[in-house]
Amino acid sequence: MAVMKAPENTPVWVNTARCKACDICVDVCPAGVLSMKADAGSTLGAIIDVVAPDSCIGCNECELSCPDFAIYVADKKEFKFAKLTDNAKARREAIINNDFRLPADYKEAN
Amino acid sequence: MAFNYDSYLRLEKMPTLWCWGCGDGVILKSFIRAVDKLGWSKDDVCVVSGIGCSGRFSSYVDFNTVHTTHGRTIAFATGIKLANPDKHVVCVAGDGDALAIGGNHTIHGCRRNIDITLIVIQNFIYGLTNSQTSPTTPQGMWTVSQKAGNIDPTFDGCKLAIAAGASFVGRETVTAPKKLEKLLVDAMEHKGFSYVEALSNCHINLGRKNKMANAMENLDWIDSITVSKAKYDKLSPEEQLNLLPTGILKQDATAKEYCEMYQEIRDVHQGKRGKITQDDFAKKI
Ligand code: SF4
Ligand code: SF4
Repeated sequence: MAVMKAPENTPVWVNTARCKACDICVDVCPAGVLSMKADAGSTLGAIIDVVAPDSCIGCNECELSCPDFAIYVADKKEFKFAKLTDNAKARREAIINNDFRLPADYKEAN
Repeated sequence: MAFNYDSYLRLEKMPTLWCWGCGDGVILKSFIRAVDKLGWSKDDVCVVSGIGCSGRFSSYVDFNTVHTTHGRTIAFATGIKLANPDKHVVCVAGDGDALAIGGNHTIHGCRRNIDITLIVIQNFIYGLTNSQTSPTTPQGMWTVSQKAGNIDPTFDGCKLAIAAGASFVGRETVTAPKKLEKLLVDAMEHKGFSYVEALSNCHINLGRKNKMANAMENLDWIDSITVSKAKYDKLSPEEQLNLLPTGILKQDATAKEYCEMYQEIRDVHQGKRGKITQDDFAKKI
């Protein structure tokens, strides 16, 4: 398999230069790990951001669904991913309901 | 460690010209993973594409590539394959390219059962030219060429391919990239003509006036009109009416492949065998 090296101790990482801000990865992530953030230099005014890497469960959905080769997930053999928690699910809801952006004043439930 | 797509891409062509969220990128990625899984050398693969958003496909991959005229991928690919039967030839075409202007080539590629894989990126619309009705646009949808609503009956490319004689036919969607990758592996491994319909989203040109202007709405709609073949087969004709089955729809490993038959022609001319007669064929008419 053609492989690339993962940055140290990182479950999921992005190449923002390739992101077209389609929101798809944020929508498919079950764990509220990803969010769009404002970016004046981007055509659609936003860019991908990893806001909660510790919640990543390593499902790979974001990587498979990104049409633009902009997002990567570490291998399960090399990284110990989190389990899906209620906190993570609540964060996901908050992000989706706020136009795919983590609310500025967002507080974790517990 | 993560999958390295970059080793298969022409990085100087990145980013792609496709719109944000375009399913074509997901198909491109699934195709790259499938080739990687098959372990094929980049030098042994030839990707042929035509005109349309799908036509960009051949520009982005670091294989042997041909970007040819509208609807003519199979004509070019047939020549390439006959001259290089040991290479893997893959055509990529949109629903307009493969089923409208190139419809006849598609039919006869299937009929000859030549060992080519045709990936039809089916997004239900002419995207590159901004929203004209294609042969697969659902009836009743708005298009630029039918602003009062499309009255043209739609084409099922998979049924066409089955009827025309393709020995492998399957359909998947960009909402299931792993399944699409698997289907592409099976199709490309298959000896004979393999027809793969990949349902893709064009929220920009199909979706914008049909109530699915963002990618997720268009993707949800694709999920709502597809069901696995196993489930589809259990439904009544009424229930099947507005659904498309996914998975492998036809697989026939016994059908004669065209390059092998063409070798027999060579053998005739080289005096290695007698002339081809009707006795060489089980089914002649
Ligand atoms: S791998 Fe899964 S959990 Fe982790 S960021 Fe991607 S979609 Fe979210
Ligand atoms: S799916 Fe890819 S292009 Fe779309 S927002 Fe996520 S990282 Fe950006």
